[in-house]
Amino acid sequence: MKNLLEHMGIEPDRLHFSWISSAESTKFVSVVREITAKVKALGPNERFVKKEAKVA
Amino acid sequence: MVTFKINGQTVQGEEGQFILQVAEKYGIEIPTMCHHKALDPAGMCRVCTVALFDGRRTRFVTACNYPIWEGMAVTTDSEEVIKGRKLIIELLLARCPEVPALQQLAKAYGIDEPRFKTENDTCILCGLCTRMCEKMGNNAITLTGRGLSLEVDTPFHLQTDACIACGACASVCPTGHISLEKIKTHVTAKAKVETIRSEYDMGLKGRKPVYVPYAQAVPNTPAIDRDVCVHFKTGGCQVCTEFCGVNAIDHKMEDEIVELDVGAIILAPGFEPFDPTKFDSYAYANHPNVITSMEMERLLSASGPTSGHLVRLSDHKAPKKIAWFQCVGSRDQNRCDNSYCSSVCCMYAIKEAVIAKEHAGDDLECAIFYMDMRTHGKEFERFYNNAQDKGVRFVRSRVHTIDPVRGSDELSVRYVNDDGSLAEEQFDMIVLSIGLETPPETVELANKLGIALTEGNFCKTSSFEPVATSKPGIYVCGAFQGPKDIPQSVVDASAAAAAAGEILAAGRNTATKQAEVVPETNVIGERPRIGVFVCRCGINIAGVVDVPSVAQYAATLPYVEYATDSLYSCAQDTQDQMAQIIQQKKLNRVVVAACTPKTHEPLFQETLTAAGLNKYLFEMANIRNHDSWVHKNNPDLATRKAKDLVRMAVNKVRLMQPLQEAELDINPTALVIGGGIAGMTAARTLARQGYETHIVERSDRLGGQAHNIYKTVSGDLVADKLAELIDDVDHNEQIHIHLNTQLSAVDGFVGNFTSTLSTDGDTQAVAHGIAVLATGGTPLQPEEYNYGQDPRIMTSLEMDQRLKAANDPALSEAQAAVFIQCVGSREPQRPYCSRVCCTHSIDNALELKKRNPDMNIFILYRDIRTYGEREYLYKEAREKGVIFVRYDLEHKPQVALADGKIQVTVTDHVLGMPMTIEADLLSLATAVLPNKDETLAQFFKVPLNEDGFFVEKHAKLGPSEFATDGVFLCGLAHYPKPIDEAIVQGRAAASRAVTLLARGKIHTSGNVAQVDPMMCASCGVCVSVCPYSAPSFIEADARMHAGKAQINAVLCKGCGLCVASCRSGAIHLKGFDNDQIFAQISAANWE
Amino acid sequence: MSDWEPKIVSFLCNWCSYGAADLAGVSRMEYPPSIRVVRIPCTGRMSPKFALAALREGADAVWVSG
Repeated sequence: MKNLLEHMGIEPDRLHFSWISSAESTKFVSVVREITAKVKALGPNERFVKKEAKVA
Repeated sequence: MVTFKINGQTVQGEEGQFILQVAEKYGIEIPTMCHHKALDPAGMCRVCTVALFDGRRTRFVTACNYPIWEGMAVTTDSEEVIKGRKLIIELLLARCPEVPALQQLAKAYGIDEPRFKTENDTCILCGLCTRMCEKMGNNAITLTGRGLSLEVDTPFHLQTDACIACGACASVCPTGHISLEKIKTHVTAKAKVETIRSEYDMGLKGRKPVYVPYAQAVPNTPAIDRDVCVHFKTGGCQVCTEFCGVNAIDHKMEDEIVELDVGAIILAPGFEPFDPTKFDSYAYANHPNVITSMEMERLLSASGPTSGHLVRLSDHKAPKKIAWFQCVGSRDQNRCDNSYCSSVCCMYAIKEAVIAKEHAGDDLECAIFYMDMRTHGKEFERFYNNAQDKGVRFVRSRVHTIDPVRGSDELSVRYVNDDGSLAEEQFDMIVLSIGLETPPETVELANKLGIALTEGNFCKTSSFEPVATSKPGIYVCGAFQGPKDIPQSVVDASAAAAAAGEILAAGRNTATKQAEVVPETNVIGERPRIGVFVCRCGINIAGVVDVPSVAQYAATLPYVEYATDSLYSCAQDTQDQMAQIIQQKKLNRVVVAACTPKTHEPLFQETLTAAGLNKYLFEMANIRNHDSWVHKNNPDLATRKAKDLVRMAVNKVRLMQPLQEAELDINPTALVIGGGIAGMTAARTLARQGYETHIVERSDRLGGQAHNIYKTVSGDLVADKLAELIDDVDHNEQIHIHLNTQLSAVDGFVGNFTSTLSTDGDTQAVAHGIAVLATGGTPLQPEEYNYGQDPRIMTSLEMDQRLKAANDPALSEAQAAVFIQCVGSREPQRPYCSRVCCTHSIDNALELKKRNPDMNIFILYRDIRTYGEREYLYKEAREKGVIFVRYDLEHKPQVALADGKIQVTVTDHVLGMPMTIEADLLSLATAVLPNKDETLAQFFKVPLNEDGFFVEKHAKLGPSEFATDGVFLCGLAHYPKPIDEAIVQGRAAASRAVTLLARGKIHTSGNVAQVDPMMCASCGVCVSVCPYSAPSFIEADARMHAGKAQINAVLCKGCGLCVASCRSGAIHLKGFDNDQIFAQISAANWE
Repeated sequence: MSDWEPKIVSFLCNWCSYGAADLAGVSRMEYPPSIRVVRIPCTGRMSPKFALAALREGADAVWVSG
């Protein structure tokens, strides 16, 4: 999946997978923080967004 | 209602309210220092000063204690007001320049330095503390002195008994002038002040008098701890009632005595962890780095006091070396009275060591000091082996003393190595693996009920009635029956329920009530008319998220006909209103934006049903747990997120369709496969509860392995009890016995199976609703130790046969007997412990000693695993002179036959020298093997593990049932176990089955997968991926869609695995279909 | 640090991560308001199409958690 994204020109850090059990709220929070920080570093996703003009 | 104006805005308040209260309601900010919602206002700090125009002139008043009146005009933010307020703050700051709260306020009002001479006080004399103290019902402090010498003090500057150190003053002090630390130093001189210790966190953390015991508590509502609540000490306080939005707190509630008429009682009082405080030599009471295993559990828990960061308590640094000491408060008669084994500690210590290494990294050194490693549970031996591979060190030594190392936080331990040499080692932390004990209250309860206890204070039961107490009608389960782990407790619990069910079967369904059914409105084909209900949840959501704006926003979304907000959506009156609105506005889809669907979806769905709507036309937006609670410092973005979540829910619910829940009758007949003790017990339990039961036994008699066993640990002769059980089963009219019979086919699914039984070539079809697999096990026939070459060399069960035949002279006249343990168990090809053999051999050794006290008996073992109160037998055997010699896997005993003599050579672990025993009898404790039956596993679509035992639904919580609905298991087919445990599990399997049978009908969920046969390519991926065996192929000769896949709604759990893996897109998951999820995804990104 | 808050479409398993997210709320933990949760019955329900759709519709990232 990550390979596919890279192939399409999307940074792999825009896709994340994790496994968290329902008791691991601390892990949940740390994963959200980590992912958010990574995505912030990448900046807004502009490459793959469907643009109305292009579609038309 | 009083109508007036604040800052030109028309506002309304109730008669008797003050300006501040009304301003707060309208979100108009007025700063205060001395205001508290639960106290009468005093206007002491003057910070809340506002301008009041009464029609003629403007004057300044304090907003907190100025009552409102019709037509008044209040200004809170004019230049004049700001100027006046700034002066007041400046004066306060001059008095207390170091108080952070004042510094912040000053900064907000643009004050850098007060123009006045500064003092060095920290008290602004607002009197909040004294008013709070009065509210507490104490009056321990007051404002004393006059003018410049005015201060908060106790009468005559003396600490009096009036102060109960409740800390209320400190909790409200706006400046930090009063602090808990100060109260402690002042008060502790007289009385000991302690913070309230959280029971859940083993005292490693504090808690409040009003508290929820732990995050997952059921019910998840706060309780008031009467022992520490100030109200129950002084009659004052009740501050909490002022904050509760729904008036749920009633301090007048009394304990009630409720009398219940019952036909049976089940005791499940549990255990208490052993308190090691009295062991001076372990320094638990006075060294912070010696902790109990229960405290360790909390330290390792992500929801624990350190959020799962492993630290030692002396300095909160990460430990580098941790030791566990086993058998603290167990197997010990010198320092405590608990001579039994607590059964669970070996396994939990290994678990803690492995988790500790996972948390802290591989560099953490973990050592477990033990006597015998008892990993006798299912998959436990593998876990033990893996722990060794992961570097957990196991040291066979009981450490006597822990010596704190002077000048450091470390602990020193001296112990004896395997070779007898002395070693000394230092650790950062020592965990005491404390045992299980019956607390005195439980002993008292038992005495009151008149039930007998064992010498270890556990409930006395017998091998053949392991959940029955000595008093008829009173049953027991869990650790009060004997120290045990979770799976065994769960098995017990089901068995106790079944035992009670057996005697109460006649009363089933005699006290049930029928719910009224509202006819469902047909909404198919209608344009969506969506209603959105946004919940404030008191201040839980509304305190962060701008709820009215979310509701207003929701109203603008496509298809939304109605949107509103409410204080508590889950309150009964709101629910009734919701149902009315749904009917009045003819809504056909509903979104509730509130808490989590995991707890509240069923409640709101009920409301839909009550309003005549299909309950699947519903979606929740989780704006509390996922929003307001976690973004409280970011209200703007939280509100935006709430709007996003509502939009996503609205866009999804638009596409929701009414779903039907199918109803299926359950055939009230049971099929038990296996006629051993477990199977017969299951069958008898089912029959006693009124269900027709078939027992299928492949041999020509009932009883299975029990025929080979001489007696149980409690001394019952198995043959007698077995005959009783067989007789019972034989004479029960509800039970049909099929001997010499095997299954040749199984069709159908939960509630409606049809099995084909083959008896000597004849076949017979039996329809049944559930099945119990009790296929049992067999003893290993060993190929080592010269077995089979001499009649004096026998397996444990063969010795039982000879013990049964009274007074076999070969047994009573033997001079020396040797028992070899772990024959075929705990070896690489069979890495599990057979659980029963240690006890069995020791019991037989004792029997031989009884017949011939002069006989020399040797038991050659690896670890003695006489768990629970079986430990007494081990103790007795040692006392009676049975000699225990330990060997390890690399140095197994050698058996030679020479000159008609059996010579057993073993390397003694103490001397390190080989010794040879001339034996007249050699008993081999051979492994218990499962009767591995792959065909049966395929028939019922249930899994087998590597060792050939069946794999249960859940190792801890579902030990007697399979993941496949309607199929249950018990006995040796699950794992090796003694007779009492097989009986308990037989009952447990029947008990689980009865929960299904008693319902009579199965209701399927609406959220199930469905195949569109026109799209299906018959590739079979769905059939192979489904963990619940729900998809199957339609028969090749079917009239319609032959060969295509179909999904059984009864078995489908709605996980969607097949939907995602279907290559043709032929499977749809109702309620979570592609278009519905896509709708949510696309709505997530609209702005 | 920019004030821009990314939008992360998050597919959470009803039984695992969704529960963890609920518990994080109950425990009043704080995290960035970046995620938008789509509750799915099980990660088995997850399809690559969902991730791609989310990115195409303008999500800054996708998170799948079981």
